Amino acid sequence: MKAADYELYFAAIHGDQEAFEMVIRKLSRPLFAIAFGALQNREEAEDTVQDAFVKAWKGRWRVRDAHKFPAWIGAIVRHRAHDILMRRKTIPLDEQFNEISSGQAQFWLADAERHQQVHAALATLPELHRSALVLRYLEGTDYATIERLLGVSNGALRGILGRALATMRKRLKPKLEGLHVNHS
Amino acid sequence: MLTIHDRIEEFLAADLHNELSESEREELHTHLMECAGCRDLHKQEQVINKALQGTLEHSKPLFGFEQRILGAFRNRVPYRKRNVGSFFLNATRSRAAQLAGAAIVLLTLFEIGQHVTGETNENPWRTLFVSRKPPAARATAAAAAAQSSWTAHAQVFAANESTNPTAPSPTAAPILAADPVASPKATVANTPVAVESSPGESTREDNTARANAPEDATANAATAQATPAPLIGGNDERKLIRNASLDLEVRSFDDALQSITDLAKAAGGYIATNSSEKQENGKLRGEIVVKVLPDNLDDFLGKLRGLGELKNQTLATQDVSKQYLDTDARLRNARVVEQRLVDMLEKNSGRVSDLLQVEKELGRVREQIEQMEGELKFMESQVQFATVTIRLAEKDMGAPAGFLIKERVQLALFVPEVEKVYATIRGFASDVVQISNAALDHDASGRVSARISMLVAPEESDNVIAKIRAMGRVTNFQVQSQRVARGGQGMAADAKTEWDKVELNITISREDDEPARQQTSLSVRAADVNGATKQLGAIAQTGQGKIRSSTFSRHPNGAEFSSVSLRIPLKNYNAVMQSLASLGKLENITVHREDRPGDVSDEQSAPADVTVTVYSQGNIVAPETGLSATLRRTLTQSAAALMWSLRMVGVALASVAPWALLVAIAFAVIIAVRRFLRARAG
Repeated sequence: MKAADYELYFAAIHGDQEAFEMVIRKLSRPLFAIAFGALQNREEAEDTVQDAFVKAWKGRWRVRDAHKFPAWIGAIVRHRAHDILMRRKTIPLDEQFNEISSGQAQFWLADAERHQQVHAALATLPELHRSALVLRYLEGTDYATIERLLGVSNGALRGILGRALATMRKRLKPKLEGLHVNHS
Repeated sequence: MLTIHDRIEEFLAADLHNELSESEREELHTHLMECAGCRDLHKQEQVINKALQGTLEHSKPLFGFEQRILGAFRNRVPYRKRNVGSFFLNATRSRAAQLAGAAIVLLTLFEIGQHVTGETNENPWRTLFVSRKPPAARATAAAAAAQSSWTAHAQVFAANESTNPTAPSPTAAPILAADPVASPKATVANTPVAVESSPGESTREDNTARANAPEDATANAATAQATPAPLIGGNDERKLIRNASLDLEVRSFDDALQSITDLAKAAGGYIATNSSEKQENGKLRGEIVVKVLPDNLDDFLGKLRGLGELKNQTLATQDVSKQYLDTDARLRNARVVEQRLVDMLEKNSGRVSDLLQVEKELGRVREQIEQMEGELKFMESQVQFATVTIRLAEKDMGAPAGFLIKERVQLALFVPEVEKVYATIRGFASDVVQISNAALDHDASGRVSARISMLVAPEESDNVIAKIRAMGRVTNFQVQSQRVARGGQGMAADAKTEWDKVELNITISREDDEPARQQTSLSVRAADVNGATKQLGAIAQTGQGKIRSSTFSRHPNGAEFSSVSLRIPLKNYNAVMQSLASLGKLENITVHREDRPGDVSDEQSAPADVTVTVYSQGNIVAPETGLSATLRRTLTQSAAALMWSLRMVGVALASVAPWALLVAIAFAVIIAVRRFLRARAG
């Protein structure tokens, strides 16, 4: 972690509200990715991130080590998302994706089915794998940051992402047979 | 080591995400060239990558996401200025501050505790400091001394060698002195002797003292070795009588005795006396006195312990050396006197009376000599053998020899004729029935009762009790049996159980005196009271009952009352009640029944009392009727009510009055004071 980041987290933990807002600016997108990975619903993900920040502010003194701050707040988001997921368990997945797709622009209609398939495949992944994958693809976050946010040990992420992608491949393979991507 | 082929998934993903190092990428691409399967995977992975990118592109947070998050945060968390309070709040969260706080609290508690207990003199900080200081001081002093005066030590060593060349301990000092600079501290730590002797001025004295020490030690060792010598070697210098006594609990007395005999023989001793005694419960207890050689005493005692559980042991040693030596000296003296007297006799010069005198004296001296010799011999025998007194007791000494069951029976008998039954029961007296107490009471009211106590042989008791119970109604029948242990306490599985004579207490009373099981009272209105009363007598007869009492009275207004009390057996109660109904209308029936739990008497024949009041109506007319009477009554009653309420008002006033008075006085005082003040001001 960079020294500047450490300073920022340290100040935030010790009650500097401006520093905490900086942290919000810095971490809200990755955290959104984590929440989205878990929930696959934008509104809920956004609410989750909001709640998580407020909760983090209130309980900031629990964090003794500023190095662990990103992992801590990441854990808050994941727990919160998990709670929401448990609560809405009865809603079938398909409907959600329909809802999501319907929000897309008209000319994406052709792709809508493909998006839905990808989401459905994502939904079958373990939560950690999904969060990692979404963090990577949604925000293009580098491996080191992902590791820090998810609290996985150094180097473990490669394995996680490798397995996640392989699973996706196996799930989507029959459906994407006809799909050709220009390969340079 | 996993090859790249095994970890292809990781590598492919990392490659797509641009997270491979230069060398890794090269490695991957080389592998892809070689392996067709991985190449295929690579292609598929790229497709998936594209698909994911394309899909998740549209899942990015909507525009203004960060602003919304920030805004929500600001809404929900009011902005706070950092002030002193928040500083302290944050400070409490730092670990150092928490530790300091805990330390302060502990210190405060400690100080308070010291104040409370008043232990002001013993300041632990000071003692801690002081106790820590001396070792350091000593060490430095030792080092300094070692450096400055090693020559002195060397001289001392020389002196030591001359005085006591074989003493081992002083060599420690020369070692220190010889090499003072190398590592004085280590030497100090290793040889505490050197530390104590370090001051340079006093080394000489110290050393001489130390030189003496080994001599003392060897002297002590010599005496220590000398002390046990008489015990072991039978040295004549010390005469010790050793006695031991011990209590042992053994399984079997005879076996133990046999073992002790064997042990005593092995220890070169013998059994002096042996006594045993058999207890009531068959257990043996006894005392054995064993004489063993003193040398073998400890060994012998140790072996004895193996025989059973050791309860008590005493070992005493008596030193009779002085007594022995005294007696010995006196004996020698007496022998010399004897010899002289014998010489005198042999000379045979002088008168006969003198000779007689000498003879007499000789006799006395010889008697003394014999006595003293006896004493010495006794002492020697005592010393020669140690006396061991062993008290043996078999296990479960306190177990009872047997149990005695004592039965006590109590019964209350209600019979028609007390005297007759009393005489009959007294007639039971025989060799198995023993009447211990019998009394017949006639009290002032003419009631007769009797009490008989008897002792009955256990085998005959049931028979006697049955006979007595057949004589009348038995209400209270109690049997108590008690198990009494004999000759000990506690439990014993194989103890015998015996039956003692049964104690029988009988109370005999007239059956009329028996309290009724059920009491009924009722009234019957009948025109002809006399006739109804006579009828009652007949009813009582048919119900196998009898009339206990009856009264008759006539009131001035012509009403007649007749009260009859019947006693009938409970089994006929219902029949009697039905025939009573034929007399007239039954009123005010109350029934009181008393059931005593555990009552053994026969329910059917239990007595029931019925009290019947027969009455006829007299001329029952209200004394006054009519309007004027009613009016008068109303007026008197209302006047009484009015007076009563007046009285209540009076009471209320009386309770309030003192307070009202108090308030009035207060007001008056206040007004007076004000007036006075105003007048002064004016």
